[in-house]
Amino acid sequence: MIKKELWVVVERDGSEIEDVSLEILGKSAVIAKSSGYSVTGIVLGTPEDGVVRDVIRYGADRVILLKHERLNQYSNDLYVKVLYDLISSELPAALLVGATYYGRDLAGRLAARLRTGLTANAINIKMDEKGLLVFGVPAYGGKIMAEIVCETARPQMSTVRPGTFSKVFDQGKKGKIVEVVPEISKVQDRVKVIDRKINKSKDLTKSEKTIVGGNGVGGDFSLVWKLAELTHSDVGVTRPLADKGIVPRELQVGTTGYSLKSKVALILGVSGSEHFTSGIRDCGTVISVDIDKGSEIFNHSDYCVVGDASEIIPAVIKKLEGKI
Amino acid sequence: MRNIIVCVKVVPKAENVIFDPATKRLDRSKAENQINDADKTAIEIALRLREKNGGKVILLSMGPPLFENYLKLGVAMGADDAILLSDRNFGGADTYPTALVLSTAITKIGDYDLILAGEESSDAALGQLPGQIAEFLDIPQVLFASSVKFEGGKLRVRRRIKGGHETVETSGPVMVSVEMGAVQPRFPNFEKMKWAVSGFHLKIWNSTELNLREEVTGLKGSLTLVKGLIEITPSKRKRVFIDGNVEEKSSRLAELLKERSLE
Ligand SMILES: Cc1cc2nc3c(=O)[nH]c(=O)nc-3n(C[C@H](O)[C@H](O)[C@H](O)COP(=O)(O)OP(=O)(O)OC[C@H]3O[C@@H](n4cnc5c(N)ncnc54)[C@H](O)[C@@H]3O)c2cc1C
Ligand SMILES: Nc1ncnc2c1ncn2[C@@H]1O[C@H](COP(=O)(O)O)[C@@H](O)[C@H]1O
Repeated sequence: MIKKELWVVVERDGSEIEDVSLEILGKSAVIAKSSGYSVTGIVLGTPEDGVVRDVIRYGADRVILLKHERLNQYSNDLYVKVLYDLISSELPAALLVGATYYGRDLAGRLAARLRTGLTANAINIKMDEKGLLVFGVPAYGGKIMAEIVCETARPQMSTVRPGTFSKVFDQGKKGKIVEVVPEISKVQDRVKVIDRKINKSKDLTKSEKTIVGGNGVGGDFSLVWKLAELTHSDVGVTRPLADKGIVPRELQVGTTGYSLKSKVALILGVSGSEHFTSGIRDCGTVISVDIDKGSEIFNHSDYCVVGDASEIIPAVIKKLEGKI
Repeated sequence: MRNIIVCVKVVPKAENVIFDPATKRLDRSKAENQINDADKTAIEIALRLREKNGGKVILLSMGPPLFENYLKLGVAMGADDAILLSDRNFGGADTYPTALVLSTAITKIGDYDLILAGEESSDAALGQLPGQIAEFLDIPQVLFASSVKFEGGKLRVRRRIKGGHETVETSGPVMVSVEMGAVQPRFPNFEKMKWAVSGFHLKIWNSTELNLREEVTGLKGSLTLVKGLIEITPSKRKRVFIDGNVEEKSSRLAELLKERSLE
């Protein structure tokens, strides 16, 4: 029997839970409430108690803790194995995973082993009259959203795009905690991590004010930094600039970068591909400069300036330097 | 090195795909096609590995006959061989049967050290096929890689993780998906292009050659279903255009930036 349970794989780095996991818990709780389902958060490794408690406070009715030292760090071989074992014996109706690097690495392979359907990068989830989950996913550069269902196989699986749903916190929420110690002594990790480098650069998702430069800024990026300094803003870029190594990848905004929640974002020389604009959807005020009057970016902006960035940026800098 | 098999998909350029809100259908007829950008990156990485370590680069794609010409472009870039998996029954596949068909073909080719794919395809943008192929082949996977080196029988791969990157090592056959833009793909060589078009024989395998029953491939073998398409409504932004000369525009911009900083 398939259980009326929505499962969420909780991704964490030590005691810090990924925002996207909390967002999915929040959304699942909303869906569960109106449909008679319950929410289970799956936590792997040996986290501090606070982690498990938070998973409940953010929406889970129950936590299954897959407790093993070896699971504190993500490993495709180990995670797929323990989750496959648990899911094929518990049979939940759905399994949701954040569309992070690790989440996507996990989901494809797990779905294949479970022989179930997987939807990627959902930006919308709802339950229809028949109790089937309908996942909305962006397609063709995001002009269109496809509605995808998995009718015949279980669990219904999807990865969920970070920054899509809101977190819901309830300090007093109670839930059940189930500990399972998986048998993995014979499982080998075929991919050995030799070195890990995390850039300690600015966390763009927490930036209050951001100036984003795109291809249209041209060769000299120093003026963007200067403008950012004058306005106490952080700097972000479109993917081509990160690809070229003009700034580290950690400053990239968009579907394969970070989503901004800034109060104000100034966007310079960006064409407005959906891969980018999905990353500025949650900004307060968006101000854009582009040389092309027809640029798609203007459809995503509150204030639009048609002009050459190489003229506008120095002029704005002059104004700010003169008056501040 | 033994064979390097590169999974290649041909995709329509996103900006050319037209959505008709009335019929809720996509019109791809006017769209220009191209090899998926990340897959082109994968081909380039394969060619560089071969130049250093020997072996053969084999392109593999599942799709309609129109893919042929694009695979030949890959051959003109320098690939040794190309195989198209094409059959009426393969149509309408989601990732599960696609991974099944591709992995069956990979097993048939055999003798490989490395399977390369793009991080994701620009039309479907799932990024899940590589992991599924790896599962069907029961080989390890390393996704979102920016560099792949072959040293002393081992593969050393740099892959993207949140906030940085990891260097990992594996031995034996492995599936690696590569980031678009990790290296600059070379252009097709003109002489090779002439040969690819007139001398080269592109293999086409169908379901009989792969020994795959109709029920497990294509639409029938799919586990997900597209129920409908919805146009994403553009954001409800103000879209106020600021007019004037450079002087006036930049004054207004400076004001806007200052106002907003005080909020
Ligand atoms: C799988 C996948 C994932 C992706 N993920 C991301 C992502 O996370 N983030 C991202 O940003 N992109 C991503 N992309 C790429 C995305 O599709 C676009 O190609 C990219 O966002 C374009 O960057 P851009 O706007 O800076 O450059 P362009 O598209 O080249 O646009 C440059 C803009 O600058 C304007 N311009 C030119 N000269 C001037 C001037 N002198 N002054 C002012 N304006 C000028 C032009 O009119 C144009 O609008 C992804 C693509 C794929 C396929
Ligand atoms: N039909 C196909 N034939 C060959 N390779 C494919 C096909 N579809 C996807 N791929 C490969 O899998 C990668 C990821 O695709 P996707 O999971 O669709 O985002 C692509 O970059 C290709 O390398």
